[in-house]
Amino acid sequence: MLRKEQNDYLCQTGPGTPMGDMFRCYWMPALLSEELPENDCPPVRVKLMGERLLAVRDSEGKLGLIDEFCAHRGVSLWFGRNEECGLRCPYHGWKYDVTGQCVDVPSESVESGYAKKIKLKNYPLIEKGGVLWTYMGAPERQPAEPEWEFCNVPLNQTYMSKRLQENNWLQAMEGGIDSSHVSFLHRGDLSNDPLFKGAAGNKYHMSDFKPVFEVVENEGGLLIGARRNAEDDQYYWRITPWVMPCYTGVPPRGDHPIHGHFWVPIDDESCWAWSYDYHPTRPLTEKERAAMADGKGIHVKNIPGTYRPLANKDNDYLIDRAGQKAGRTFSGVEGIGMQDASLQESMGPICDRARENLVSTDNGIIMARHRLLRAARALAEKGVIPPGVDPEHHKVRQAALLLKRDIPYKDGAKEALKAKKGVSQTSV
Amino acid sequence: MQSESARVTTAREAGFRVQYPNSKKRSVKIIALDSGTARVVYDIAREPWNGAVFFTSLSFDAAGSPGDADGTTMHAWLGDLAGRMIELVGEVATADFVVVLASAGADAQSVSVIAEACAAYSKSLLALVVPGKNTSEADIARSLSHLRPYARMLVVASDADYVAAMLTALRA
Ligand code: FES
Ligand SMILES: [Fe+2]
Repeated sequence: MLRKEQNDYLCQTGPGTPMGDMFRCYWMPALLSEELPENDCPPVRVKLMGERLLAVRDSEGKLGLIDEFCAHRGVSLWFGRNEECGLRCPYHGWKYDVTGQCVDVPSESVESGYAKKIKLKNYPLIEKGGVLWTYMGAPERQPAEPEWEFCNVPLNQTYMSKRLQENNWLQAMEGGIDSSHVSFLHRGDLSNDPLFKGAAGNKYHMSDFKPVFEVVENEGGLLIGARRNAEDDQYYWRITPWVMPCYTGVPPRGDHPIHGHFWVPIDDESCWAWSYDYHPTRPLTEKERAAMADGKGIHVKNIPGTYRPLANKDNDYLIDRAGQKAGRTFSGVEGIGMQDASLQESMGPICDRARENLVSTDNGIIMARHRLLRAARALAEKGVIPPGVDPEHHKVRQAALLLKRDIPYKDGAKEALKAKKGVSQTSV
Repeated sequence: MQSESARVTTAREAGFRVQYPNSKKRSVKIIALDSGTARVVYDIAREPWNGAVFFTSLSFDAAGSPGDADGTTMHAWLGDLAGRMIELVGEVATADFVVVLASAGADAQSVSVIAEACAAYSKSLLALVVPGKNTSEADIARSLSHLRPYARMLVVASDADYVAAMLTALRA
């Protein structure tokens, strides 16, 4: 349960809000590299944390994220002509470079210097690991570049997708922390999905629907350990890292690629669900890549040419009641990603947490909210940089492993929880 | 025509969600396992709660035997805020779930007695390790090792504030 004021505090990320200020301390995934495929390609409209922006790649490959609207009379520069190192507004021909600096106002002579007076707001845009990242905070506080393991392995070892989710970021992210739903909602997929099936650890999962949880703090956020009984006086542990504000890792299965998400606010009523998959030591196989592109694992099939899922609220998520009855899926919705999204969207655009009834196994969620509130307050009141900004905090790995029962997982899994170049994930 | 899934998830339609209560008052028993967490309990017990009952101590008979396996003859008592001793078994029997608090590094082995009562009545046991100012990783590991065999949910709190925040979140 959260009071309405607390809920608003956590859910609102627009400019000037406390959580909005906190989100603006981080590098956030803004677009896939594929969205700006070549120099002088069409610009792309991007909305992040309640700001309408335009992503541009100029004739020399320089990247920029600028205010979407022309400073002259406010038309969208999405209609602009991207040529000769700038984006020209099609209305009266004003031209901007990737930093938002106006470089030509045709009605005024160059000598007048008028163009120099016009500058659109811009944010840096950098490419790393197939993703274009932006930082929307104060320039003097811009942190070092992100160091997530998936964006530091060679590109043939990693795959990234994104999909629109039509609800507030927090309820989406809470799904990533809440590992107790996996035994129910995703029950059918452990044995069927090509990107999950066959892992030795799956048998523990399927034989014990009442895991025991252990939540501990980590530098950048939390570790949520779920343990199930295993042979020989051991526990089977699945450890989910959460890094502030919106990164969640999914514990791995066997030698399948490792995956996880970012949950990035678009505005208060929608977010981007980013889904990565990578293998620390080997290229993804053709088969794996094809399965990911086909919406298997944590990815979904989008409407071609868009990032909106094919199964969405307009078609009732293509719910298949016969499949639900037969047990092929638990909820009748196909695919892990849409199983989550359909339920989270059904909570409403912003979940009313005053009506929820949490139980002890929801402590991961309770703790994450508590830490977000504290960090946002510390930033607002004392200027404290929140956890997760430091790239060292990005170097955490999810893990699935067997440990002797008397060993605390934070110790027993210490090495397994570190991202290490050239070292495979710890996974059963 | 707009699908029902699309219509029902609009902000406008959210206004039509039934506003009648969807839960009843519950009974959460919160037990401090040591003097450090007893102080935390004294503090937060002053806030208004929704039926939560707080205890600052646990004692059991010298034999160290909590009683029969079914818990019915257990010889263990909880100390409440007024200093009264109340039988553990009766409190657990009427609880919806039980929360124990342990200071990081302090001896928390008495949790086994509470866990036995919880098992007898099939109640969930949630254990919270409360760190102090100078808590080390070793302190936390010690607490976790005492609590791990018994708790359904084991949490290392980020700070003492978390106890109240968690109880509020659980409508205690
Ligand atoms: S059972 Fe968890 S939301 Fe319904
Ligand atoms: Fe899920």
